Amino acid sequence: MEATQTTPVKYDMEVVRWFTIAAAIYAVVGTLLGVYIASELAWPFLNFDIPYITFGRLRPLHTNAVIFAFGGCVLMGTGFYMVQRTGATRLWSNGLAWFTFWGWNLIIVLAVITLPLGMSQGKEYAELAWPIDILIAIVWLSFGLNHIMTIAIRKTSHIYVANWFTMGMIIMITYLHVVNSLAIPVSLTKSYSIYSGVQDAMIQWWWGHNAVGFYLTGGFLGIMYYFVPKQAGRPVYSYRLSVLHFWALTFGYVWLGAHHLQYTALPDWTGSLGAAVSLAMIIPSWGGAMNGMMTLSGAWDKLRTDYILRFLVVSLAFYAMSTFEGPVMSIKTVNALSHYTDWTIGHVHSGALGWMAMVSYGAMYHMVKKLWGVDKMYSESLVNTHFWLATIGTVVYVVAMWVSGIMQGLMWRDYDEYGTLSYTFVESVAAMHPYYAMRAIGGMIFNLGAWIALYNIVMTVRQASAVRGANAVPANA
Amino acid sequence: MTKLLGYLGMDVAAMSVNDWLGVFLALVAFIGMVAVYFMVFRPANKDMFESQRSMALDDEDHISMGEKR
Repeated sequence: MEATQTTPVKYDMEVVRWFTIAAAIYAVVGTLLGVYIASELAWPFLNFDIPYITFGRLRPLHTNAVIFAFGGCVLMGTGFYMVQRTGATRLWSNGLAWFTFWGWNLIIVLAVITLPLGMSQGKEYAELAWPIDILIAIVWLSFGLNHIMTIAIRKTSHIYVANWFTMGMIIMITYLHVVNSLAIPVSLTKSYSIYSGVQDAMIQWWWGHNAVGFYLTGGFLGIMYYFVPKQAGRPVYSYRLSVLHFWALTFGYVWLGAHHLQYTALPDWTGSLGAAVSLAMIIPSWGGAMNGMMTLSGAWDKLRTDYILRFLVVSLAFYAMSTFEGPVMSIKTVNALSHYTDWTIGHVHSGALGWMAMVSYGAMYHMVKKLWGVDKMYSESLVNTHFWLATIGTVVYVVAMWVSGIMQGLMWRDYDEYGTLSYTFVESVAAMHPYYAMRAIGGMIFNLGAWIALYNIVMTVRQASAVRGANAVPANA
Repeated sequence: MTKLLGYLGMDVAAMSVNDWLGVFLALVAFIGMVAVYFMVFRPANKDMFESQRSMALDDEDHISMGEKR
């Protein structure tokens, strides 16, 4: 057991505050972009024949906004928060943390400028031009150095498991980003990958799936292992299981990328290996999800009144569901139906909205109360409203994509007694329309929740600032 | 059965440096996982691990950022 701190530690939390506010803003912007491009697919006139706002230009901006702007700010903010709190120390370098904050935001601004102009490497989740890739590596390393050095100067003897997940993410994303981004520049905005053909595809999906594995899963699991016990007021159900969860993900995730390339020029065995390890990963993933949920043992009644805890627990349900669905989709027989269809989009969003965004909001609400020293949010009922909008929006979105994706796959491979395809591609597109509209509506519902969260957070901050200004009362968590 | 065993067959003579590197890394990952499972589930280690369960709850509640009390 760690020694209880008797003297208050002075933390460097101002930068965490800024990351938290930025995350709330980027969540609104990123999901709004998603709603717009989803609407473009349902009602194509929304392109307005303006190249800068076509689906092909805005889609990478949407993914970069939600993954790197929203997700990145959450990961960096919570990373700096958790490492200080569990290490009972302030940051190794507050100045470097501010460099990370402004550097990361500069990257986001550059993405907003370059992607609508069509400056893209065409590699999914790694679209940004080569000079920005170098900037990403520098800023990411500044985050990593600060995090690891803060662990080195901690006042506690043990490194809490949440920090292991964050460190694993930092090390692996550095490695993945640098290797996948290796390119030969031919101009300031144009470069060619040093890999060619199938090797390029393999490296791309080695990066692509591990961005999911170490960034969108590992990093957010760190958040889960700190904020679920904290919000529930209960110790984590099994620390041994959390250690096993960490190492199993770390050893296992790097093998999965090839399952994105079934039935391609990639050697057949690599796809099979990717699928086999994907299935093996169900065990630690579900173990971790159960570990999070069982942390509520003896405190399930809190779900009736604690709306922040609802976000965290429902995120675990989506985590468990996504980490079962993904391996099933990687099996060749299922992949033959699911690949290239919107089922994949549904799967990604059950993870991104249901897991990543929900656990993020749980952590953000928790941190806002602690960082601004208030007992309650400005409106607890708005937190509840946000919870239901986020849940319903995610379910509407995911169900629309499941139904349309499976229908799409079945239509593409259906043939008559003469061996001729039963449907033209255009007929499958027409059949998708109602589901595309339903998907856009699901996204709108989720986006409305993001606006409410931003309003509630801003009002909480303003209220806390007004109270503090009036009587200079210290923050009591 | 013979077909199943065929999946485990290795043409050692045809293996490249990359193949051997892959075999090595696969073995390292496998042995590493076995070691982790052994370490985590060894009864003698239970208390050592589980004593950290409540670490997230141990941090003191007040977040001081140097403000005036």
